[in-house]
Amino acid sequence: MEKMDKEHLLHKYLNGTATPEEIITLEADPTYSSYIKIANTAESFETPMFREEDNFNAIASKLVDPSKVRPIRSLKVIYRVAAAVVILFVGYLFISDSETTISTQIAEKKEFMLPDASQVHLNSQSQISFDGNKWNQKRSLKLEGEAFFKVHKGKLFSVKTSQGFVQVLGTRFNVFSRDSLFSIKCYEGLVSVSYSDTTVQVPAGTMIEIRNQNRIEKSKIATASPNWIANESTFQNVSLSLVLEELKRQYPINLISQNIVDKNFTGSFTHKDLNVALRSICDPLQLEFTIQGEDVRLYAKKNN
Amino acid sequence: MKIPNNVCEEKTFSQIYNDYGETIWNFLYFKCGDSAQADDLVQDAFIKLWQNCKKVTREKAKSFLYTVSNNMFLNQVAHHKVVLQYAQLQPQKVDTQSPQYLLEEKQYHQRLQNAIANLTEPQRTAFLLNRIEGKKYAEIAEILEISVKAVEKRMSHALASLRKEIEEI
Repeated sequence: MEKMDKEHLLHKYLNGTATPEEIITLEADPTYSSYIKIANTAESFETPMFREEDNFNAIASKLVDPSKVRPIRSLKVIYRVAAAVVILFVGYLFISDSETTISTQIAEKKEFMLPDASQVHLNSQSQISFDGNKWNQKRSLKLEGEAFFKVHKGKLFSVKTSQGFVQVLGTRFNVFSRDSLFSIKCYEGLVSVSYSDTTVQVPAGTMIEIRNQNRIEKSKIATASPNWIANESTFQNVSLSLVLEELKRQYPINLISQNIVDKNFTGSFTHKDLNVALRSICDPLQLEFTIQGEDVRLYAKKNN
Repeated sequence: MKIPNNVCEEKTFSQIYNDYGETIWNFLYFKCGDSAQADDLVQDAFIKLWQNCKKVTREKAKSFLYTVSNNMFLNQVAHHKVVLQYAQLQPQKVDTQSPQYLLEEKQYHQRLQNAIANLTEPQRTAFLLNRIEGKKYAEIAEILEISVKAVEKRMSHALASLRKEIEEI
């Protein structure tokens, strides 16, 4: 108790509020009297001289007028924010907008699975892109060229092309979208095709051809899957120029046609042998061809 | 037009330096015991004040300087055990002591200085703010952002260890 009291008096003393009687009480205790001596001696100590002017000059030399410093600082902040935004955006692209693109070259085909195990066959010189991370919420992809889909049953599956889009729930179908031709073949189930402002239903075993945004034909198909998957291109009453375009996609050739009247072609050609393929096209149309390296020359058969 | 109540005016700023420069410098010197380091820190503290002049009112400048100094000191990782080098003692008022007494007195001062240098930084700062700067406990509590009770504790501990070191040698 007594010690607590003296401690209290000591603090009063150090705070300069102790009365003379209290100081005498403290002095009577040897411990506290030596505290007082220490305190009094320390009081007479001094710090080294504060070099007021030198320090002020040092500070002044490092100061910048705040009215000048502000814009730079806020610009720095803008840069920082901009950098953060860029980083976040890039991160966002990586994390959430990870678009997958699969493409094929001339004479190349690809077969792959989408995240929901739907199957895609991609024909030559075509491209598909989709967002793998959002696939579960939205089965949607972009197509340029031609592809055959075996869609797993589930949510709406849509194929977007420059000429329109195709929507299904779960079927097998082929989409061709090149130049001005948009052709959809449905092998199973029901496909809904939208182009310009029209929507048509394409049932199984049917194909439609839309040329220049005008629906021109709806016809039956006999096969269970497109022939190009079996490395063969099949045509029914198709203009020779379109047939030759497909030929150029399947073989890396430079095609030169001379004086050829555009006829319609019905038949097929293989993707495995250029010579055989050319023969299948030329023979029915009374055409001749020569192959020189990558140059393929087509001309009308001379009448014997 | 109203004069903005911040320290961005050069006049205000140098007034604050005149008022508190030495106090802050001493405060830093108590902490680190090194003039050059105290110089650096006091300069940095006032530069920080200038950079934040729009946010700091005149009245807040002092506590801003203390807070900044405190933080800057803590940020200086490499502060080794300090050796305080106090300036010459104040001349004795009475000049008629015996040489024996003067010698003892001198030795006592020396021991006390060493003992102060050996205190922990929080104890030394509180003790010297009180003894040399003549700050009341309440002011010390405000500067160090601690309670008055904690100041009492630091003072008691400081005195106890000073006494122990001086009298046991």
